[in-house]
Amino acid sequence: MTAYVLRRLAQMLPVLLIASFAIFAMIYAVPGGPVAVIVGENAGPEEVAAAIRRYGLDRPMVIQYADWLGRALTGDFGLSLHSRQPVLQLIGERLPATLQLALAAIVVALAVGIPVAIASAVRPNSWLDRLLSGWSALALGVPTFWLGILLILLFAVELHWLPSASRHVPLWQSPLDALRSLALPAVTLGVYVSGILARFLRASLIGEARADYVRTARAKGVPENRIVGLHIMRNAMLPFVTIVGLMMANFIGGAVVTEAVFTYPGLGRLLIQAISTRDYPLIQGCILVILVAYMLINLLVDMLYAWIDPRIEYR
Amino acid sequence: MPGRHRVMRDSLISLGRLLRQLLARRGAALSIAFLVLVGLAAAFAELLPLDPLAQSIADSLRPPSPGSWFGTDELGRDILARVVYGARTSLVTAFGAVLIAALIGVPVGLVAGFYGDWRDSLLMRGIDVLLALPNILFAMALIAVLGRSQSAALIAVGVAGIPGFARIARAQVMALRSLDFVTAVRGFGGKPAYIMFRTILPNALSPLVVQAIVLASIAILLEAALAFLGVGVPPPTPSWGEMLRTGKSYLYEAPTYAVLPGLVLTLTILAFDTIGRALTAILDRDETDASGVTIGGRR
Repeated sequence: MTAYVLRRLAQMLPVLLIASFAIFAMIYAVPGGPVAVIVGENAGPEEVAAAIRRYGLDRPMVIQYADWLGRALTGDFGLSLHSRQPVLQLIGERLPATLQLALAAIVVALAVGIPVAIASAVRPNSWLDRLLSGWSALALGVPTFWLGILLILLFAVELHWLPSASRHVPLWQSPLDALRSLALPAVTLGVYVSGILARFLRASLIGEARADYVRTARAKGVPENRIVGLHIMRNAMLPFVTIVGLMMANFIGGAVVTEAVFTYPGLGRLLIQAISTRDYPLIQGCILVILVAYMLINLLVDMLYAWIDPRIEYR
Repeated sequence: MPGRHRVMRDSLISLGRLLRQLLARRGAALSIAFLVLVGLAAAFAELLPLDPLAQSIADSLRPPSPGSWFGTDELGRDILARVVYGARTSLVTAFGAVLIAALIGVPVGLVAGFYGDWRDSLLMRGIDVLLALPNILFAMALIAVLGRSQSAALIAVGVAGIPGFARIARAQVMALRSLDFVTAVRGFGGKPAYIMFRTILPNALSPLVVQAIVLASIAILLEAALAFLGVGVPPPTPSWGEMLRTGKSYLYEAPTYAVLPGLVLTLTILAFDTIGRALTAILDRDETDASGVTIGGRR
């Protein structure tokens, strides 16, 4: 297992290398490029020339990339063009907020999605199943940003129970404040993910329920809740985990949008700000960090595999 | 080649049969009716007594009334008019994005699956790289480079849809390429390009049509999300996502401002999704109760 994880980590390197080069090349291709942002719109030709010399922007792209890469490997992603602060520091300030939101959303998604899937899979095509399947379709089809707005209208504007804009409060500092701030964004993102979980876990459970070992267990007189909870669940988790891994990209996209709805100070909003101010080093840093997170999640999903099903061997 | 026209005609017949089966399902029929309504409104918006750009500050942020069903926005513009013209933005982006994705994705998948050699590995690695990036991130990065415009949004959403088409086209070719009718065309001396596009492709249409509909719902959602984040189609072009973005600032003054455009957006996405799922169910049933070989949706 350790060897497997190490090899997977090593395989991430070329992907990151290609992705970072692609982002670098894209930014290089922008008309005017970073210079226009550095010197501002009203700069004269001398200022532009000075900036180009100072930042070494007249060198070939590959040299510039190698230069950036060399510094990135030592943890130096450059300075934000806008705030003049180190990119890595800006990202580091926002990362805990995003992680906290992601974890809270996963808790909501599991708490809603798994019971819904089991309830609808126990009696396929019953009225309850159809009701819950409709609910999953809604959870998946309703755009997160509209659901967020509806929740704000209900819980903040009408009922005054929760704040409409969320701050980041670390959970260990003030759990109650943190939960108040997190509740709406976590539900918004969690409901969407619960739709994914419910739809695929249901299909997986129904498939497994037809297997021979289930009939055998029933014939032996194993109680029904044990059959579902222990026998079926364990086997149904496998295809389900695959899907959840594939869906992680949507999760990240949903997190970016959810942060925007609740003006939540996470990585997604940092990236949007960076794009709207054309802060190229910051854009590059944010995208790379999110990409690393995405690949680590995928690795984690694959490791879950081995834990769920000991028959799978990693080499 | 005598078989060509028959194959073409048969695949059209199977699409017609698919449509009839769709209309027999209540959810799918309702969805089609809704989309036809939205599509007609978007296409013939000029014929309606609605102006999406006329401003009247004195009438800003009015609630819905008999004179303006959805109320007015912060500049006193009619929200229903903007929803109707916004449908045009959404549907044009979705259609263009699906077209780009299909025009690039399908040939890539066909070539990769048909040859299955180094061309396959090369093309599919490229697809994997596209797939490795969450599509909203990819779209945002592309827009950061291209600048904000409707065509940038369209291209960004379209490129994000390439992997889906490529993978399905590839799977179809691999399933079909060794069947008798393909071998026969090969025996007549059909060139690879001819076999791929004239022999195999017409028989692989059904799953590709399903993919186009699934992608349309994703494209509409993605376009709206980009506009909501402020990097989509630039104002004053009406866009559902942009209306939600602005409406969010006036939740206390005019709650219906964000709610009603969002409702139309949601119904449109759900309609495409419902049709896509119904089509999948119909095709799956075709596959399972077929006796013998099934070629796409055609037996």
